[in-house]
Amino acid sequence: MDGVLAQLAAGFVAVFAPANFAALFVGLVLGLLVAVLPGLTLVMGVVLALPFTYTMDVTAAIILLTAMYVSGTYAGAWTSILFKVPGEPIDVPMLWDGYAMARKGEAAQALGWTLVAAGVGGLAAAVAMVALAQPVAKIALTFSTPEYFAIIAFGLASVVSLGGSSLANALISLFAGLLIATVGVDDTYGTHRFTFGVPILSDGIDYLVVMVGAFGLGEVFMRMEKGFKSVPLKAAGAVRTRLPALRELNATKGTFARGTLLGILIGIVPGAGATVASFLSYGIEAQYGRRRREMGSGIPEGIVAPQTAATSSVGGAMIPLITMGIPGSGATAIILGAFLLHGLQPGPQVFQSSSHIVYAVFASVFVGVIGMCLIGYFAARLLVRVLEFPEVIVSAYVVMCCILGAFAARNNITDVWLIVVFGVVGYLCERFRFPIAPLVLGSILGPLAETNFMTTMISFGNDWTVFFTRPISGTIMALTVLTLVFPVLRHLRRRRAA
Amino acid sequence: MIGRLARSLPYALVGAGAVYLYVVAGQFEFHRRGANLGPDFWPKLVLVLIIATCAWEIVRIALVGVRREVAGVLQEMVEESVREHGDVAAGPEARSRPLLLLAGMALTAFYVWVIQALGFFLATAPYVALFIALGGYRRWGVNLAVSAAGTFAMMFFFMKVVYVSLPPGQGPFAQFTFWLMQLMGIR
Repeated sequence: MDGVLAQLAAGFVAVFAPANFAALFVGLVLGLLVAVLPGLTLVMGVVLALPFTYTMDVTAAIILLTAMYVSGTYAGAWTSILFKVPGEPIDVPMLWDGYAMARKGEAAQALGWTLVAAGVGGLAAAVAMVALAQPVAKIALTFSTPEYFAIIAFGLASVVSLGGSSLANALISLFAGLLIATVGVDDTYGTHRFTFGVPILSDGIDYLVVMVGAFGLGEVFMRMEKGFKSVPLKAAGAVRTRLPALRELNATKGTFARGTLLGILIGIVPGAGATVASFLSYGIEAQYGRRRREMGSGIPEGIVAPQTAATSSVGGAMIPLITMGIPGSGATAIILGAFLLHGLQPGPQVFQSSSHIVYAVFASVFVGVIGMCLIGYFAARLLVRVLEFPEVIVSAYVVMCCILGAFAARNNITDVWLIVVFGVVGYLCERFRFPIAPLVLGSILGPLAETNFMTTMISFGNDWTVFFTRPISGTIMALTVLTLVFPVLRHLRRRRAA
Repeated sequence: MIGRLARSLPYALVGAGAVYLYVVAGQFEFHRRGANLGPDFWPKLVLVLIIATCAWEIVRIALVGVRREVAGVLQEMVEESVREHGDVAAGPEARSRPLLLLAGMALTAFYVWVIQALGFFLATAPYVALFIALGGYRRWGVNLAVSAAGTFAMMFFFMKVVYVSLPPGQGPFAQFTFWLMQLMGIR
């Protein structure tokens, strides 16, 4: 424990180094802006920021993206509460009681509760992240390829099962991502796979291209089809934050505890993320909370429950990312991409090889949460004004950033064409309700899944039952099957009940 | 019946594509090493899973329609919650504008096509301006200022700060880019 604290202290020192602190500040402000700006989602924002980190030091790059992730779960609540405009699904539950409070003339109080909830959830999750990371990494060190394959399979299954689409569509999307990852020259045999004589395809399709194209350009095309819009702000001049009194906080401590714990747990589950945490936490509060009958009428518990869960899910999602290299959400998939771009593979070994980077990132979450609250308290009025910014201008710049990001990765115009192709693919996915997250995660984790699968087959004489017969991999594979079967069982039960 | 056929079409197309790629995977050239699995095994496995899922969906739609599809947990949560709080969360459904979308896609493809010939600035600034105009923004002064200044700022940031070499263009267009670079203090 002393070792962890000493490394964390060194991490704090690293965070306050000028370059890292600047990255943290920029990341926090960008995250807040992304959450408020029309036409931008949190994941899209983190994707677009990635190319700007190419030449940055790895620590500063990860700090910037993580800060965006943390603050992006917070500021969307402002627009939900003040203008009834949830930036993305995370913010929808914040709207039910938050906007209702604003309508009662308690907007300042609602913003205050949001701030405290994000702060408490974020800090508690940061503590959990530091406390759990090393023990989890130690366990992960004992894993062999079957266990790693099982964990990846579990992560991918969770993305499919928990996603916001039909199970079959999510599966097809995931398999397409896995297939995209096979394009290029095979590492073991040197065989050209699906290159069709195109030289640039021999190097494979960069997951960055898939990510930026499908998340960024695809979303812009989708918004273009629906017509761009901007939101007239009527109440922006009245934006004020009033923090709750200690007495009020004491009365809601149960909600804080439930939301935080749930957020951390949901964050740890690969594929779940802040949106699931936010909805689930609101649902649990509405079912078991002390004031469950008043939920939806504009009470603080309706804000605290989803906001603590959303922000605390960030710390939870960082645990599998850092300790096993498995991203728990769309945003952590991009942070994983940033690690890989800088030549660093997250996983249990990272605590031996680059613990200074890991603890600097951990420390940045603590500083980031506090910084986010301070910026939120003093600058909310200024930041919400960007909501007035025309969506079409934001979208034009999103396209520009997407293209710049693709070109900057390998200085190759073919990558830019691929971005456009994946932009169209992303649009078609959204249009026909094929979720994009499994596609992207499949393309990122595909090579890792294939390597671990093939190595296991070689080591165990092509005996695929080994994934089910070894105790740890067997347990995880059983969980994987359960994860996939769960929505089916839930569907059948609901049908029977109906 | 036509409705079901239309709903099956995406799965039929994806399934057919997967079958084609399966055939392509069968033609990978490699020397097998003992009993080890070849580089075609993993892609074939993934393709079989795609084909099976598509076949399942086509059969399901043919037999029971789309209403009985199994949804992800999040989708059900969102749908349930929005049903309960519909008065607050629901917004008007936006009208689809396929022509605008096609124009946007064509404009983006044209931009990528000309960027190497015109260079980053000369291709991007008009692209951004046209994109904004296409999106329905009619304040031309703001549009032109935002497009030109924003493109200039991006070019400065990427070339001067992050050292990414952006396409300079060809012939006289390259001369213009080099003049801009001089203006930015880039050698």
